[in-house]
Amino acid sequence: MSKPSDLVQGTLDMLLLKILALEPLNGFAVSERLKQISGDVLQVSDGSLYPALHKLEQEGWISAEWKTTENNRRAKFYSLTRLGRRQLEKESENWSRLSTAISRVVKLKEA
Amino acid sequence: MRPEHWIYAIPLRLRSLFRRREADQELDEELRCHVELKTSANIAKGMTPQEARRAALLEMGGIEKRKEECRDARHVNWLQDLLQDVRYAFRAFVRNPAFFFFAVAVLALGIGANTAIFTVAYNVLLRPLPYRNADRLVMVWEDDSAFGFPANTPSPGNFASWKSQNSVFSDVAAMDTQRFDLSGQGDPEQLLATEITANMFPLLGVKPVLGRNISPEEDTPAGDHVVILSHAVWLANFGGDPHIVGKQIWLNNFAKYTIIGVMPRGFIFPDRETQIWTPMRFSDKDLVNFGSHYLHVVARLKPGVSLSSANADLSIIAKRLQQEHPQDNAKEGAFAIPLRDRLAGSSRLAAMILLGAVGFVLLIACANVANLLLARAAGRQKELAMRMALGAGRARIVRQLLTESILLSVIAGTAGLLLALSATPFLANLIPAGLAPLAGSGINAYVLTFLVAVSIFCGVLFGLAPALRISRLDLVNAIKQSGAGSGVGAAGMRMRDLLVVAEVALALVLFSGATLMIRSFINVRNLDPGFRPAHVLAVETELPFPKYQEVSRRNAFFQQTLERINHLPGVVASGCTTWLPLTNRGGAFGIVIEGQPPLGAGHLPIPNVRMISSNYIQAIGMRLVEGRAFDDRDAAKSPLVALINQTAAKKFWGGQDPIGTRFRHFGKDKNPSITVVGVVADVRQAGLDQPPRPEIYVPYDQWDFFAPGYIAVRTTGDPMSVANAVREQVWAVDKDQPVTHVMPLEQMLADYLAPRELQSSLLGGFAGFALLLAALGIYAVLAFSVTQRTQEIGVRVTLGAQQSDILRQILTQGLKLAGLGVVIGVAGALALSQLLATLLFGVSATDPLMLAGAVAVLLVVAMVACYIPARRAMRVDPMVALRYE
Repeated sequence: MSKPSDLVQGTLDMLLLKILALEPLNGFAVSERLKQISGDVLQVSDGSLYPALHKLEQEGWISAEWKTTENNRRAKFYSLTRLGRRQLEKESENWSRLSTAISRVVKLKEA
Repeated sequence: MRPEHWIYAIPLRLRSLFRRREADQELDEELRCHVELKTSANIAKGMTPQEARRAALLEMGGIEKRKEECRDARHVNWLQDLLQDVRYAFRAFVRNPAFFFFAVAVLALGIGANTAIFTVAYNVLLRPLPYRNADRLVMVWEDDSAFGFPANTPSPGNFASWKSQNSVFSDVAAMDTQRFDLSGQGDPEQLLATEITANMFPLLGVKPVLGRNISPEEDTPAGDHVVILSHAVWLANFGGDPHIVGKQIWLNNFAKYTIIGVMPRGFIFPDRETQIWTPMRFSDKDLVNFGSHYLHVVARLKPGVSLSSANADLSIIAKRLQQEHPQDNAKEGAFAIPLRDRLAGSSRLAAMILLGAVGFVLLIACANVANLLLARAAGRQKELAMRMALGAGRARIVRQLLTESILLSVIAGTAGLLLALSATPFLANLIPAGLAPLAGSGINAYVLTFLVAVSIFCGVLFGLAPALRISRLDLVNAIKQSGAGSGVGAAGMRMRDLLVVAEVALALVLFSGATLMIRSFINVRNLDPGFRPAHVLAVETELPFPKYQEVSRRNAFFQQTLERINHLPGVVASGCTTWLPLTNRGGAFGIVIEGQPPLGAGHLPIPNVRMISSNYIQAIGMRLVEGRAFDDRDAAKSPLVALINQTAAKKFWGGQDPIGTRFRHFGKDKNPSITVVGVVADVRQAGLDQPPRPEIYVPYDQWDFFAPGYIAVRTTGDPMSVANAVREQVWAVDKDQPVTHVMPLEQMLADYLAPRELQSSLLGGFAGFALLLAALGIYAVLAFSVTQRTQEIGVRVTLGAQQSDILRQILTQGLKLAGLGVVIGVAGALALSQLLATLLFGVSATDPLMLAGAVAVLLVVAMVACYIPARRAMRVDPMVALRYE
């Protein structure tokens, strides 16, 4: 299981943006969704999650709104902004380029 | 970042900044909400509510720490933190007002004093002179040390020779002072003029702001009479008339001078006294006159030429002139010194010494405040440990402590600025006339920059000590420890001890320097000037040429004026003289004493000459030692007589009795003989701290050059009470005669002493302040130490130590510190003594008695400072002490 701290900060940002691209969620829900989608492979520790979210908000890639959840609890919901969508596209591109390159190297037949 | 980004991001950042509390609460709520949700999820997984909650909290980690990280992510932290630090610092100060006020007071005095002295030093040492490339300008002097004039005003012959024969100067110009009476423009008044050669202003690199400079044709005896006005005179006397160029004015009722130019505002040369400039108008005969010495010569070094090469060149020329003009130029050398040095004179060294002294004071003040902060820091350990536990990084804490100390320093700096502003007018006496700032207190951008830099530097300096100490806390120990016994540690105590030793050393150096200066000043002040200045009024009234070209007119003027003054009520005696004491170092010519073997040129006696009226001796209170003074026998047509002073008698007449001997003015053999009729006690003509020169006094009406220019009036009471009456008598004889500089003779002496007096007072003040601070430093360290060691003292008392033993222990501790400081201080004082040597008078810089005295004073002060903590230690109740944790 890859530990969240092994994730480079940039990759975490991209993952969070992608999750929020699907639908607006609060912090807890985002980490649960990430776990779920990745089959428990990708887990963000609570300690890294919120600083990352706040940074994304600071950059203007996500925006926040206080809403009430189903259990009548007040929670801060994040959603992707237009700027964030552009950033996500950019980072996804970079990521595929990177991962393709890595795959190519790794798949080389050993002599 | 793109614009849209900014539009979104800025409100967010501003919100973070300004609605911090709201943002903070939200953050708090967000994180707690997460914990709640996690807890519910854990319960759903099957954990018990307590377990679930615990797991959730554990995974979140410290909420405060998370909040801090989120805040960090927002990147506005630094500003927020700074504001928080500042607020925190203020709260800390308010909680501890005594410390705050004391620290601010001490620092304000230190910083303020430094700023004020720096203003002086800036003007004397650094402020650029208002001439182009002023550091390439030099003044050239004759070296006539063989005759007692190590820096003599050059003769026109020398000036012309230097100008034509040198290879190191791009130009050489000359000037002389002159007085003109301005009439026809309102009240008659006297304008001080400087005669300059036509190339002077171009040499300085300045141009008139109206009109033009003197042309070479105008600088000849046949040239037109022209004058250039200073900006101030143009405004004051001519109303700033924009069409002034070309207008004519009467000067000296002698000739109409055409105004050809006005100099720029703020231009002064050579000092503020000069109001107008006229051409020198050397004739060909003048330019080969090697016998009259009265000029000031300014030159500009060629690019790339050093001062030493210029001096070498001048020496060669001087040697050549010695051979070409053996009579006039025998043993005459020539040398150049930078213009600024000449203008600054001895005030340069004084400014540097004062700067050093006040710097010491500031260091001592900082050491004191550092000490206090260290002590305070020891008491704040728990608080700081708590903060670290709550998530503040070490760097953050250091930053906060530094913010505190810099804030303290800046507040003190502001107070210090006010201090400096009020002090600078009083320091004006330390800046010589040629370098004085034109307006205001002289506090300008440089000075303010200095102030800010010094404040911040101090803040960092004394803030660093506790800040560095604190960072190395052992967190657990600090929180566990519950009393003052907590370890600032041996290292902390060592630093405080070191600071105290440094303070004592600095204070000793300062104190010993100050006592030497004060002693010098007292020595100078107590010197017998050779006359009795009390109750004497000094009046300057120079007879203008060509009105008084005729000798008989001059004699008549003084005769009548003195006669009238003598009849005024309250006047005891009055007399006139060419120069009063302190107004001229020179005014001399060579003599040949009859009956003595002929001395070649270069070995001639050259005494100062003063032409006086017969009652002058009485008027200023000179002492007749032998023979008689002048009286009615010595009228204009009578045989020539003279008085000589004791130095002349000793130097030129050897052991012989001079009364009745004769001498001649050197130059022509047919000069009439002069008989010596009396010997007077030495008068310190050149200055109270200058050795007296040989002098001769002759009746003014027997001579036709060097006309008297001063009148001295001895009164029964306050000399100023007859001032107006005296002026009226002068005007009764000649209504257009300007009377300048009327003041008590005592004031002239006081003015001469004023810079030295000011220097001494300042040094004394600094030294006293330094002593006080050093004493406080010792007291603080010992008091703290006693508090720290209360337990130990209690134990000792229980084990049988007497009160006197405890007392001795504390005193020894304090005296050890003071002693070490004294030893270092003595070394420092001796090392710096050479610096002081030229400013001292009558006392050696390494005088062992003075040094011993300073050491004694410091040790006594240290003992007094030890006393209170020692007494407290004595009264420690062992029962209380042992229970004290």
